[in-house]
Amino acid sequence: MMDVLVQQLFFAGAEVWLAVMAMVLLVVGAFVGNRATAAISYASVLVLAAAVAFIIGLNGHPRVSLFGGAISTDALANFGRIMVFVTAALAIVLGDRWMKRVGLQKFEYPVLMLLAALGMSVMVSANSLISLYLGIEMQSLALYVLAAFSRDNPKSSEAGLKYFVLGALSSGLLLYGISLIYGFTGQVGFAEIANALPTSSKVGVVFGLVFMLAGLAFKVSAAPFHMWTPDVYEGAPTPVVAFFSSAPKLAAMILTARVLTEGFALATPEWQQVLIVIAVLSMIFGSFGGLVQGNIKRLLAYSSIANMGFALVGLAAGTAAGVQSVLIYMVIYMLTSLGLFAGLLVTARQGRPLESFEDFAGLAKVRPGLALVMTLLLFSAAGIPPLAGFWGKFFVFKAALDAGLVWLAVIGVVLSVIAAFYYLKLIKVMWFDEGDRPVDGIAWDAGLVALAMALFVGPISWFVLPVLEPWALRAAAILF
Amino acid sequence: MDAQSLITFAIFAPLLGAVIAGFFGRLIGDRAAQLSTTALVFAACAASWVIFLQVFSGSLEAFTLQYLRFIDVGSFTAHWSARLDTLSAVMLVVVTSVSALVHFYSIGYMEEDPHKPRFFAYLSLFTFAMLMLVTAADFMQLFFGWEGVGLASYLLIGFWYKKSTASAAAIKAFVVNRVGDFGFALGIIGCFWLFGTIEFAELFPQIAAKSDVSVAFLGMSLPAMDLLGVLLFIGAMGKSAQFFLHTWLPDAMEGPTPVSALIHAATMVTAGVYMVCLLSPLYEFAPVAKTVITVVGAVTALFAATVGLAQNDIKRVIAYSTCSQLGYMFFAAGIGAYQAAMFHLFTHAFFKALLFLGAGSVIHGMHHEQDMRNMGGLARFMPVTYAVMLIGTLAITGFGIPGTYLGFAGFFSKDAIIESAYAAGLHNGAAHMAFWFGLIAAGLTAFYSWRLAFMTFHGPLPKAHEGAHGDAHDDDHHHEPHESPMVMLIPLFVLSVGAVFAGYVFYDAFVDHHQAEFWRGAIYTAADNHVLHDRHDVPGWVLWAPFVVSMLGLFGAFVAYIWKRGMGKRVADRGGPLHSLFYNKWWFDELYDATFVRLTRVLGDVFWKVGDQKIIDGFGPNGFAATAAHTARRLAKLQSGFVYHYAFVMLLGVLVLGALGLWLSGVWG
Amino acid sequence: MSSVGLPHFLGVAAIVFTVGVFGIFAARKNIIAILMSIELMLLAVNINLVAFSTYWGQVTGQIFAMFVLTVAAAEAAVGLAILVTFFRNRGDIAVDDASVMKG
Repeated sequence: MMDVLVQQLFFAGAEVWLAVMAMVLLVVGAFVGNRATAAISYASVLVLAAAVAFIIGLNGHPRVSLFGGAISTDALANFGRIMVFVTAALAIVLGDRWMKRVGLQKFEYPVLMLLAALGMSVMVSANSLISLYLGIEMQSLALYVLAAFSRDNPKSSEAGLKYFVLGALSSGLLLYGISLIYGFTGQVGFAEIANALPTSSKVGVVFGLVFMLAGLAFKVSAAPFHMWTPDVYEGAPTPVVAFFSSAPKLAAMILTARVLTEGFALATPEWQQVLIVIAVLSMIFGSFGGLVQGNIKRLLAYSSIANMGFALVGLAAGTAAGVQSVLIYMVIYMLTSLGLFAGLLVTARQGRPLESFEDFAGLAKVRPGLALVMTLLLFSAAGIPPLAGFWGKFFVFKAALDAGLVWLAVIGVVLSVIAAFYYLKLIKVMWFDEGDRPVDGIAWDAGLVALAMALFVGPISWFVLPVLEPWALRAAAILF
Repeated sequence: MDAQSLITFAIFAPLLGAVIAGFFGRLIGDRAAQLSTTALVFAACAASWVIFLQVFSGSLEAFTLQYLRFIDVGSFTAHWSARLDTLSAVMLVVVTSVSALVHFYSIGYMEEDPHKPRFFAYLSLFTFAMLMLVTAADFMQLFFGWEGVGLASYLLIGFWYKKSTASAAAIKAFVVNRVGDFGFALGIIGCFWLFGTIEFAELFPQIAAKSDVSVAFLGMSLPAMDLLGVLLFIGAMGKSAQFFLHTWLPDAMEGPTPVSALIHAATMVTAGVYMVCLLSPLYEFAPVAKTVITVVGAVTALFAATVGLAQNDIKRVIAYSTCSQLGYMFFAAGIGAYQAAMFHLFTHAFFKALLFLGAGSVIHGMHHEQDMRNMGGLARFMPVTYAVMLIGTLAITGFGIPGTYLGFAGFFSKDAIIESAYAAGLHNGAAHMAFWFGLIAAGLTAFYSWRLAFMTFHGPLPKAHEGAHGDAHDDDHHHEPHESPMVMLIPLFVLSVGAVFAGYVFYDAFVDHHQAEFWRGAIYTAADNHVLHDRHDVPGWVLWAPFVVSMLGLFGAFVAYIWKRGMGKRVADRGGPLHSLFYNKWWFDELYDATFVRLTRVLGDVFWKVGDQKIIDGFGPNGFAATAAHTARRLAKLQSGFVYHYAFVMLLGVLVLGALGLWLSGVWG
Repeated sequence: MSSVGLPHFLGVAAIVFTVGVFGIFAARKNIIAILMSIELMLLAVNINLVAFSTYWGQVTGQIFAMFVLTVAAAEAAVGLAILVTFFRNRGDIAVDDASVMKG
């Protein structure tokens, strides 16, 4: 009995380690105070690095089911956790330095990030509805606070409030759906649900499934559950938004893929249609909504809505290649998005961050390097070959085509052209518009992150993609 | 060093120079950029001469060096390689020698230009591309070099890009060459389609076996070899400025004069001739294509010579002369005397570069005056330039005593062509025509060349020119014509040596008794092609005819411009039909303007105003953009900022999706 | 008198859930009311879970309900904390005020 527990704790080592270290760091912070913030931040990064190292050590190990099937470690979970932890570490570094500059440095930030990462870690490894719910809540509660982290900023607290209220509503929907599914199948484990489905009431299960999907769609900010996104992105502190736009989306996307394919493979025709509707709506809202934005953070919010639509196109394919394409797409999107938000953090004007189109007018004249990095990232986001963003879209649309969803792929391509417009508009504003007002010095932490991501979507991706592709396929194959 | 290393060095030294001057020119300064590029090209030149002399003495076998694999797709492979045989060895020395001298000369000529490193980088880049072209072992690299020299030419013609005529000329050269390249690319594709390879070494041996293949083209059944030959020749026509596609070359004179000497006289424009000679294995099986080449070459030779008669811009005269001489080379190749074509290419490179650089010296001495009507009596001010220009003129007019070995370079090569044309013309109508055209053109050549010399160096110096160019130059310049500095004169001396002796020294090897040992198969001649041999049996009057007509030309020029001074001007002013035909270059530019350019513009207007603006923009981008912006504003209104609105949308969404789910699961469906 | 069965529980839960959902966008004056509505929704879910748990004769649903209660408590705590921040910035907790950001 003891042996089994130890063994299970070992395989859940990353989560246990994160939970324990988050507590430890919280206690340290509580006792030492904000003096220790930088130390706690770097400690958190190390904690995440250790977790990544542990997972890499586990890599290749066959699937292990833990705690009565609540969570499991497998290739997909490992994929998700590595990406989440790396992103979280980057966001901690970005956020800590930025908050130091704006006088907002508090030790809760890295601790909350650790807790959010823990929640996402549970999400990507969840194998039952209970752990699904707990993972989502763990993540969400931390993110609500992070959104309102800039306590004295009315916009930030409004963002936190909106995020919280709507998040709670979505949790309610999700939970109601879960309760229906549990009620109609009598099971909470994904595999058990799959077994029970043939004898269950289809109507009840599908109804519950739609509610659950609504909750999950909220987390990935897919339309029509996306309304919180622009407001929260605009209001929340930029490093936090950088994190919002990356890891939680990946975690929720993996979770959605897992619950749909492992638990509801039998209902594929139903959830496929629902996903298609959500995907199309997201692409439409994201692509058109961004056109009239003047605030770059809002613009990127719409961009992320549209991107989730594109990713869902891959998921709607309902095949291993589809899930693989989603994983590839999400990784590329995450890093592009992280790079873009980091780019927003690089400089400011008299301490006021650059957030609107006007702020960026003529940036190429005063900060050509930054403009170049941003341009590369925007081109990738717009899906211009041979940058990584193009390949992400390529995989997704190819998966959709192979699954026979021709018109969905066509809609996706058309809307991605529309979405390309706002990225190109920003590029045009940076390079061709008048305005050479000076900007403050470069923040090197953010600059390096932006540069690294720009290089990633550029030349590095040509070397990474051949590695990422089989890795994503291995991870996706777990589900089929 | 062995020949392999030498040729590699010769090819890459100019590239290195281009990189140094192009990327680090600002860093290392003007002088260092000039010296490094010039030194590297001189080194390449030395290496090329070593290789050439080894080939000349027969101690070096042909070889092909493969650097790397370019493309390897399916059955299509292309390598980047260096092919050395007699043909490419000849071209190597021509290109590197002229290039080295032009680099050197440009140090003086471009002294006042603020963008020296860029200029030298382009020159070296051109040299590298040209070497790529001449050492190509397959069509891919040939095409690559072909486009590379085209690019360098474009950049150099438009070097003074702030001058609108220079930019326009650069674009014109580019566009006209695209027409030729279209045919050239089709020819290459056709070769691959027919032979399954673009590698010369694999392609040539197959030709004899496939010489009877016919292809359907535009509804006709054509012999494949002739079709390929004509298509490839269209490319050569563009690059070598042959009739119909010649219009870009005179305009290209907008570029700096050293550029004209290097690219538009000695090297790039001869690429077409070189290609025809290189592809002699193909053309020997393409009688129709050869006839086309002969006719086009002969017409160009005569046509360009007539235009040259009436031009007043010193560089344009020489440009038309180049055009005409290229015509000679082509019809020589067309009648099967490839060796004579290559020989003329070789000697022409020296004396034409000499003439151009001499003209450059004149222009430099006259403070950028190019109109010969504003010149005169310059022999007093620049005696050295006068002397070398005389040598160049004697060389281009082919001065020499027939029947002996006394003569300037042009004498040997041009007379070899004319004699071959006569010999071939005995049983070939096109060649017969070419003979007469060539002969008349020789007389015209003498006239316009001496006219140039007389107008420029003899007679009084018109006072008018002083005001004419005053605006182009700073006021602190003294306006008296002056001799050029030594750095510009030394290349002239070297080229003079070539213009005098290149014919005599290499006559035997290129076209006479030892040509077979010299070429060693680099040029293929079919068994029934003994035009080079037959030319020895032509009657005596044919030997003397070129001499006589060129003397007539000299006499005519003497009468019109020295003896009865002002006669030429009176003829020009009267503007007779013949003079205006020549003066206006047979109205080719106007013709093209009225047809192609206007047609294109009309079509463009139609596509733009109706197709683009009304149809595509109306329904497409603009209409679409308007709709998109409208949709976006509507969506933005939805995003009201009120949390209960958001909640309402979410709930609506879940209800609709729930209904969809229920419908899908078969309740209402 | 017919016994109270599963449908009744589910019906009550559905009604409570709907009341909660409507509470979220009906409560325009006071954010506290929204927090209470959320609480209602979670409780409706709990009713469902416990009812189903009994129906299936398992404890899974009841355990789940425990988790939900715990999370609901945490959620209420976080929500109130955010509300306090908001109040400090605005001096009011009317929902209509939280509309600075839009578009």
